[in-house]
Amino acid sequence: MTEIISESDVLTDFAVREHRSLWLDAWRRLISNRTAMLGLVVVTIFILSAVGAHFFWTYDAKTDLDYSSKLLAPTLRVSEGSTEAHWFGTDKLGRDIFRRVVHGGWNSLRVGLVAVAISLAVGGLLGLLAGFFESTELNKWESAGFMALVAGGLGALPAWIARQNLQIVLFALLGVVSVLRPAWFTGKKWLRTAAFAGLGLLIGGLSGLWVAPAVGLVCAVTGLAIGLVTAKPLNGKLFSDIVMRVMDVILSFPSYLLAIAIVAFLGPGLEKGMIAIGVVGIPIYARLARSAVLSVTQKEYILAAQSVGEAHGRILFRHIVPNILSPIIVQATMGLANAILSAAALGFLGLGAIPPEPEWGAMLGDSYKYLSSGAWWAVLYPGLAIMFSVLGFNLLGDGLRDALDPKMRV
Amino acid sequence: MKPLMELIDLTTRFHTQDGVVNAVNGISYPLEPGEILGIVGESGCGKSVHALSIMRLIQTPPGEIASGKVWFDGRDLLKLTEKEMRSVRGREIAMVFQDPLSSLNPVYTVGFQISEALILHKHMSKKQARERSIELLNLVGIPEPQKRYDAFPHQFSGGMRQRAMIAMALSCEPKLLIADEPTTALDVTIQAQIIDLVIKLQSEINMAVMWITHDLGIVAEMVRRINVMYAGFIVERGDVDDIYNKTCHPYTLGLLRSLPSIDESPGTKLVSIPGLPPDLISLPTGCPFFARCAFRVEQCRVERPELEPVDNAGHSVSCWRWREVLGANAA
Repeated sequence: MTEIISESDVLTDFAVREHRSLWLDAWRRLISNRTAMLGLVVVTIFILSAVGAHFFWTYDAKTDLDYSSKLLAPTLRVSEGSTEAHWFGTDKLGRDIFRRVVHGGWNSLRVGLVAVAISLAVGGLLGLLAGFFESTELNKWESAGFMALVAGGLGALPAWIARQNLQIVLFALLGVVSVLRPAWFTGKKWLRTAAFAGLGLLIGGLSGLWVAPAVGLVCAVTGLAIGLVTAKPLNGKLFSDIVMRVMDVILSFPSYLLAIAIVAFLGPGLEKGMIAIGVVGIPIYARLARSAVLSVTQKEYILAAQSVGEAHGRILFRHIVPNILSPIIVQATMGLANAILSAAALGFLGLGAIPPEPEWGAMLGDSYKYLSSGAWWAVLYPGLAIMFSVLGFNLLGDGLRDALDPKMRV
Repeated sequence: MKPLMELIDLTTRFHTQDGVVNAVNGISYPLEPGEILGIVGESGCGKSVHALSIMRLIQTPPGEIASGKVWFDGRDLLKLTEKEMRSVRGREIAMVFQDPLSSLNPVYTVGFQISEALILHKHMSKKQARERSIELLNLVGIPEPQKRYDAFPHQFSGGMRQRAMIAMALSCEPKLLIADEPTTALDVTIQAQIIDLVIKLQSEINMAVMWITHDLGIVAEMVRRINVMYAGFIVERGDVDDIYNKTCHPYTLGLLRSLPSIDESPGTKLVSIPGLPPDLISLPTGCPFFARCAFRVEQCRVERPELEPVDNAGHSVSCWRWREVLGANAA
């Protein structure tokens, strides 16, 4: 007689696999990818040496000077009259290049991280908001906040010209008033438009006049434009349009040229370089985040989250953000490489780090003149450092792209 | 009995580049507590849009709920603030969607997503929510719910995902469940399981169910009352038996005739309704079904029929010639 198998046995037969999280899955795919691992190793060496040098290997760039040992070729032996071996040789001021390359890594790492953080925070957030609210009805507080952001953001231009940051605050207030008091002048559209245009003109013009009549004129015109924008009722589509057009304007400048212009305005220095590189990168992240959000908001699980009664902020940050993280992570990794390269370019032109601060680009700029006299080591090692760090981040970024691609899931 | 929900003249439009799309054109009907209502119609007839309008989940822009009232438990849902509406969604009206493959968020575990509604509306602690979610997973027939709680959606089959969605929808014991073609993406055996599951749960917690589908065969076995929709209008409404046996609208008749039957001899051609539904941007002034109707007369072209009662049992139809349709059907 055949035995009948009980139902509970059949059900457990239905295998329950181990539940791996998405991140663990991605990590496993990453470590099985050889080139990505190569990138990861290079990046790890770079980060460890930079951090280690900064905290455990003291170096005072201002007192590092020894004319007696200038432009020495690389050697593993300790030469006469010197206390240490110059593995990478010395430069025109007799400074040990190995030491400066390792310490320069800390500066490059700092520039990369801060610049990407600036681009990512500003660009990512703007793109996120623009994408999500493009097809979502704004409530009163959201539209007041966005109007303040738009008016204040646009107001930054006249504020910059007139050197009066108070303008940003005043324009932002104008934006808030325009949304929270929409009942003013209702039914008389032209009156509302005229009132806001006039207020914008006044705010811009008066604070510009404080500096000079010509500045007052320019600021009055921009203020008028901002007044006209605030007079319009704001919806998500308009907000998104304004943000993305501003991003287009930034993108329309060649990125190095814009970075140089910003540094020229802010003055030289590594910190100013970070800001310049960060600002130039904003539109990339804004566009990326917006397009990713637009595709995710079409998914049914967002509708499902709404139908459960979740609020805008919760849907945006708990349901949308985790789903767009992978392209952002990839872009940020590639962005680090790009920022290191841009910092080196600025340093080479003498706009980034102030000498004698060790910085790879600045070291190249200092030493390329000595190539003709045979001092190849002064250029080669900083150049290799730039190349390997950029290559490492790019390889890692490529590997991450493959590892995080949800279509690769098995 | 006082209806749980009453729609009055609900109108939803979409403002597109080509013009204004009249997706839902002034529909009105009551829904009683614990009732199972079927909404039937072909693709693009406004079934889903009218359900999303009730939940106020129409994308604005381009969508807009132009007019009407949705009385639910003594309040007009369209007049509530967004915040009040959020506490209605999920807690009083829940929804299950068509595509179970994309209606769960891929980055969170299934259990977490069910717990979320419980934490949000019932203010449960994480631990309580976990226990309740496991109960719910068990209730909808998912084997080994303790282990499945921590599974990701991609580890579930389509049928299991839809069960999980139903568990999520039922988590706060809503008064109304809107099921928007929940079985369309599933195969027939799973379809039957899901339908049985919903009917069983419906009678247990006495909620009303609105079952949206294009399949008259499915609704026949589960619902009590049917709304037949066409081009954003309700063209016929009544008890299942009346709709099937005393069909009064030519469109309903067409739908019924186009159902394949297992008794038919092989080689019999299926009857289809000729033509296409009207362009929702420029609706005809007369009856929207005019161009495809076998019973049309001059009056149908110029005058749009209103929903009028056929009998006292709640069977109503919007057709000038329903008596002739009924007669032809009986013959």
